[in-house]
Parts: sequence; structure tokens; C-alpha cells
Amino acid sequence: MLILKQLILGLLLPAAVGGGILVLAKSITLKRERTPKAGLAPEWLVAVALSAGYIVGYLGLEGLPPLPPREGVHWLCYLAIIGLTSGAFCYSSLLGRLIGQIGLSIVIPRLLLNSAFKYTWGPLEGIIWWACIAVAIFIFWHIVHQNFTILPTDASGMFVYFGLSGGTALILALSGSLRLAQHAGILVAIFAASWIITLVGQRSESKKQVFSISASPVVALIFAGIWMNGYFYEEVPAASAILLAIALFLAPIGRIERIQQLGARRSTIVQIGIIALPVVIAIGIAVARSGLFGENSSY
Amino acid sequence: MKMDLGRNLHIFYIGSLVLLLLIGSAGITQSMGVTAYEIDTAHSMIIFRAKHNGVSYNYGRFNEFSGKIVMTSTDVSGNMVPGSMVEFEVKAASVDTGNEKRDQHLRSSDFFSAKQFPVITFKGTEVKTKKDKKDVLEVTGDLELHGVKKSITVDVEITGRAKGRDGESLIGFESTFTIKRSEFGMTYGMGGISDDIRITVSIEAVHK
Repeated sequence: MLILKQLILGLLLPAAVGGGILVLAKSITLKRERTPKAGLAPEWLVAVALSAGYIVGYLGLEGLPPLPPREGVHWLCYLAIIGLTSGAFCYSSLLGRLIGQIGLSIVIPRLLLNSAFKYTWGPLEGIIWWACIAVAIFIFWHIVHQNFTILPTDASGMFVYFGLSGGTALILALSGSLRLAQHAGILVAIFAASWIITLVGQRSESKKQVFSISASPVVALIFAGIWMNGYFYEEVPAASAILLAIALFLAPIGRIERIQQLGARRSTIVQIGIIALPVVIAIGIAVARSGLFGENSSY
Repeated sequence: MKMDLGRNLHIFYIGSLVLLLLIGSAGITQSMGVTAYEIDTAHSMIIFRAKHNGVSYNYGRFNEFSGKIVMTSTDVSGNMVPGSMVEFEVKAASVDTGNEKRDQHLRSSDFFSAKQFPVITFKGTEVKTKKDKKDVLEVTGDLELHGVKKSITVDVEITGRAKGRDGESLIGFESTFTIKRSEFGMTYGMGGISDDIRITVSIEAVHK
């Protein structure tokens, strides 16, 4: 009964809400194609879809987060809201967007990792970690932004994020935090819905991309939040965390000319295979570390 | 010679006065009977139990903790004189249920979030003796667990008093009480693991 409740609240509901809003965004885009109007509403709706899908899943699993947040997981809900707000400014000037990205990349790790600053790190160690994490978030955010700008309009783009969130959920579960794994599971559900919508969209009259860059802050911040929680507060192996990040770096590989020459189907398979490789290795490391097949594999 | 006698008398008076003051202050201290104890962790235990799947009780313990107790003596009517104090610090990561895999899960953010909230604390704010039971204290204090602070009142039985091998004063306490983990923000797996957690604290404390 409890598992069924978690499935409905943590997977089906976010997929329905996120997917529903995405369909709405796509239908508005189609209408605009026929009768062009100014405005960015359908693009921003993509960010709304992701953010609302995640928040619905969060509320279903955790309930309302306290304000101020007490633990790292509580920040995830607020990161979805911050990401949504930032998504509205994705189309503003490059300088404005960069200032926003740099500011949030600095502030978020300080807030989310407050306990690590308080109990784990000394003053100098804390500053070094803070600087490194801020740079990593900025780079990661930039890559996500680039991906949404240059990724192919077909479903393989969505599959990258579906695979990444799936790998994250598995690694977290293997590392001992089922609660955090459920949060990555919410993303799996939303990206699965987006993937299906993209697949259906490819066969329809409009081949316009489902995703837009307005979704990049939501994706970047929620992923960064889950990974920071996983690495610093749980037992996620460092190698697994690094490999997951590397997987996303490989996302634009489909743009290499030689791969594109393979034909649509083959190039998609190669692209997905290259991205899946580090994710699979990351999962393998987590499996080995978890002692899944050892004596104390269950309790 | 006269001068020496006068000087000696002077010293005698001052000495007597100092002695009287010392005796007097000792008497006051004794009447207040303030005794500070430190917890002897080798002879103390903090255990807890939770019901699994509504079927059986699973037990666990915390291996690392420290604390101090300041006891003020009882007055004639047996009431504790204000000033008694209890302080506990328990390392959340030292949770031990006899299964490393389960302990790892308990340390995660599903339960104790040991990296975010490494210490569980209890700070007593009021100690009273029970009216009908002289050896049972009613201790009220703030329990901070998983980053949530809540005031709780528990009955603490004084289980014994004795002298140690080196003449040090020993005192024993035991308290069993139940908390709801959901009240401390630990809501994961409520179906499989009970909300009610029964905690037993058994302490041997030493006055050195």
C-alpha cells in the first residue's frame, strides 16, 4: 500500500503534471506557428512543467518543506522554484544571465551545505570546497544551457536526461539513501513523460523541439542539489558522482560530423551508447561499493 | 616580647576567622549538596527499539556519547533543590543495530542524517523528585534530534548509589521513554518502521 502510494505520488503524479504542462506548451507553440505572436509563454511553460512536476512529486513524498530549510533535501523544493524564476530570465542579456548564474552558483552550495561547513570542514577547507563547488555548478549549468540550445530536436536529447536521472536514482539507492533516490525518481518520471511526448511529437506535423533553454536552470539546480546531497550527506562514491557529470559533458557528441554521417538511427544509438557508458560504470562502482551481493545485502 | 604576643594573637584571630569562614562555606555547600558527576560510558548504555513491519521489535544502541550530571541534594521534604542539571551528547553516526547495512541506512538522510546532524543532545532544564517515589526524578529538558528541538519530560529512576574502588561516589540512573520519530522530522518508511521509538538510557555516573 505504501509502495503504491509512493509510486503514485513520486512517479505518476509528477509525470502527469509535468507531461500535461509540456503538452500545453507544445500546443501553444503549434498555434503560434500558425498565427505568430510575440512573447515567450510557451518556452517558459517548459520550465513550469519541469518545476511543477518536481514540486508536486516533492510535496507528495515529503510534504511542505520548512522555511528556512532544516536539511539539504528541503532545499530541493526551493531550488525548483529558484530555477523556475531564473528560467524567466534565460532570454535576457548574456551579462544579466551570467551574473544570475554566478550568483546562484555561489550562494546555493553555501546554503545547502551549511552542515558540512559547520561540522565537517575547517574554515580554509570550507572555502576551498565552496569555491570548487561553485565553479562546478556554474560549468554544469552552462553545459545544460548549451545542451538545450544545441541538442537535436529528436527524442535522444530527452533520453540523455532520462538516463542521467535514472542513473542518479540507482546510485543513490545503492548508496543507502532511498529517500534521495526517490527525488531523482521524480526526475526520471518527468523526463520519461517528456521523452514520450517528444517521440510522439516527432511523428506529428510539427518537429519543433519540446524543450527550451528556460528549463536549463530548473534541470541544472535540481540535479546539482541532488548530487550535492548525495555526495556530501550520503555515501555516493566520488567516482560515480564524477562519471555522472562526465556523462552530460558527452551529450553534444551527436553533433560530431562523423557520427551524424552514420544516419539518424545509428547516430542516435551511438550517441546514447557513449552517454550511457559512464552512467553504467558509475552504477557499477556504486553496486561494488554497496555490497549488494555480500552477506549483509539485506536486513 | 609584648609585641610578639600581640602579633601572634592577631594572626590567631585572623586564622580563626578564615577557618570559620571556610567551615561556614563548606557547611553551606554541604547543605546545598552540589555534586557533579561524569558519565562512565563503559558502564552506561543508550538503547532503542522500533517495531518492524508491525511484527517484531528491533533493537539498536549508540556507542558514543558523553554527558554530565549535577545533582543538588534533596531538602527535608525530599524535593530537589533548583540547580540540578543534566546534559547529554550522543553521536548519531555511532548507531549500531548489529547489521552494518542497516546502520548505514540509519545514518543516511532517510533517518538520522548523521552528516547533517552529527550530534543528538539533551539538556535538562528542570529536575524534580516524584512526590510518592523518592528515588524517581522527573526530568524536563530539550531533546534535539535530527535538527528538531522538542521539550520532553521523562521519569528517571535512581537505581543505586555506592562508593567505587578508589572511594569515588557512584550513582546509577535509568530512564525509559517513548518518542515519535515523526515529531523530529524522521518520516521515512513509516509503514515498515514504527513511529514510536522506545529509548532506554542506563547511566553510571562518577563523582571524582
